Amino acid sequence: MDQFLQAIQNSITTGSLYALIALGYTMVYGILKFINFSHSDVVVIGALFSTVLALTLLEKLGLQQAPWWLGGVVLAGAMALCATVSFLVERLAYRPLRQAPRLNCLITAIGVSLFLQNTGNQKFLFGTQPRKIPALVPDAEPLFMIGKVPFRLIDFIIVGTAVVLMVALDRLVFKSAMGRAMRAVSFDHKTASLMGINVDRVISMTFVLGACLAAAGGFLYALRYQTVTQPADTTWALLGLKAFVSAVVGGIGNIRGAVLGALIIASIENFGAAYLFSGLTDAYVFAVLIGMLLLRPGGILGSAAVEKV
Amino acid sequence: MSRAVLQVTGVSKSFGGLKAVQDFSLTLEPGSLCGLIGPNGAGKTTAFNLLTGVYRPDTGRVVLDGHDVVGLRPHRITRLGLARTFQNIRLFGELSVLDNVKLACHLRVGQTVLGAIARTLFHTAEERDITRRSMDLLSIFGLDSRAKEQAKSLAYGDRRRLEIARALATEPKVLLLDEPAAGMNPQEKKELRGLILTLRERFSASILLIEHDMGVVMTICERITVLDHGVIISHGTPTHVQNDPKVIEAYLGSAEAAHA
Repeated sequence: MDQFLQAIQNSITTGSLYALIALGYTMVYGILKFINFSHSDVVVIGALFSTVLALTLLEKLGLQQAPWWLGGVVLAGAMALCATVSFLVERLAYRPLRQAPRLNCLITAIGVSLFLQNTGNQKFLFGTQPRKIPALVPDAEPLFMIGKVPFRLIDFIIVGTAVVLMVALDRLVFKSAMGRAMRAVSFDHKTASLMGINVDRVISMTFVLGACLAAAGGFLYALRYQTVTQPADTTWALLGLKAFVSAVVGGIGNIRGAVLGALIIASIENFGAAYLFSGLTDAYVFAVLIGMLLLRPGGILGSAAVEKV
Repeated sequence: MSRAVLQVTGVSKSFGGLKAVQDFSLTLEPGSLCGLIGPNGAGKTTAFNLLTGVYRPDTGRVVLDGHDVVGLRPHRITRLGLARTFQNIRLFGELSVLDNVKLACHLRVGQTVLGAIARTLFHTAEERDITRRSMDLLSIFGLDSRAKEQAKSLAYGDRRRLEIARALATEPKVLLLDEPAAGMNPQEKKELRGLILTLRERFSASILLIEHDMGVVMTICERITVLDHGVIISHGTPTHVQNDPKVIEAYLGSAEAAHA
């Protein structure tokens, strides 16, 4: 029973992290029809910059213990930086390829990814040493226990932040002018521009939104796992891939599908680890991807004519 | 003479060796209703694409309400007051009927990314206003009862009318209609004629119409321009055009027209 409860708890927490990252993949795919492989590196920037910013702020303020608001400041800072980086990547690397075949964009995305990793590894930026984020939330003791399963404050913060951001995104996409424009652009660039929609601006906006969610994902990841490795570490690639698989399983291009896919992937991973061989968690995830691609390549909510972005 | 709302002078466009449109000129007075006709492949839709910024003219000037619009991107031209519909209907099929109209109302919304986020948080008044305007438009076209449905679920004639409603939502000074009667039955065509005349009164827009259906063009247009092989071969009142030997030749099987 404890094992089951623990697996559920882990699934929801890691699922929230995957979902935040998966949304960026799915939104960009929805609008530009290519996989932005540099998205996971934006997550890394979010995680590492949060760590550096938290350390610096604590030092400058001369505090041992983080005040309650510091997490919010760090998150906002990480979002601002990731949004800027992502905006520039789109502007400089992807926009010139707007008329080019999608494969060119895909290759470029891989190039951008390597560029961000190697730049981030430089001494004057993040360097190659792992860093440890200071405890921004009091997390020494679990809030409460159910059986032998501890419920920690950090897990609630992760899930809470993710839910708030995803509800905000859903509202933005389905209820606002910008969201309508995004859905229109994802449907047909040319017609959208003839309706007076500035397509380039909508695309920039999509990248910025995806980056903000990625920054939150990186920040929360750092808070949960504390040690943050160098930008070119395979942990990040794997994290990005799992988020990407979530987006595909949910139906790439579909916002609600990405969240659903993330929860499914996280569950498979955690229940697989709990009840099957724990050494094969990554294999389960990709086995599910293969199965999904064979049986229902559009994903769970994909091509079922749910509104897409 | 009142100032022309759309003044096209000597516009040409080639695709490789194909001269799609040559020396195309056109003047649209405020509130006028003009037709653009010609055999298939004459360059009518290309002319529309040149006016709306989808293609950039090789030469010539397009002045919309005092603004030179050559080289501007399509959304800028739309914002200056030029809206269009499409020969092959291009609605956002997976969006609702209402959303199709609403998104065209947003010309002045979302000027900056931050502004868009801020507006999303405090957008209720603006959103209500746009919803009301869109519903008003839909009711003119008798589509208000289907506002919540996906656009692709509409019947063919309704989709054509929704496209016109969407174009009008951008508050155009000039409305370009690309074969609005295509695929309509006689009854629908008759209603469409009435509708176009009503629109001109109600929205005080100038209308330029591409149409194959001579019944529609000849009865409602004040002036007609005839294109053949990218060149204007005749221009004038419906009676003048109908009796122009060059027009008759272009339509009725000279050796040249067989290639069109």
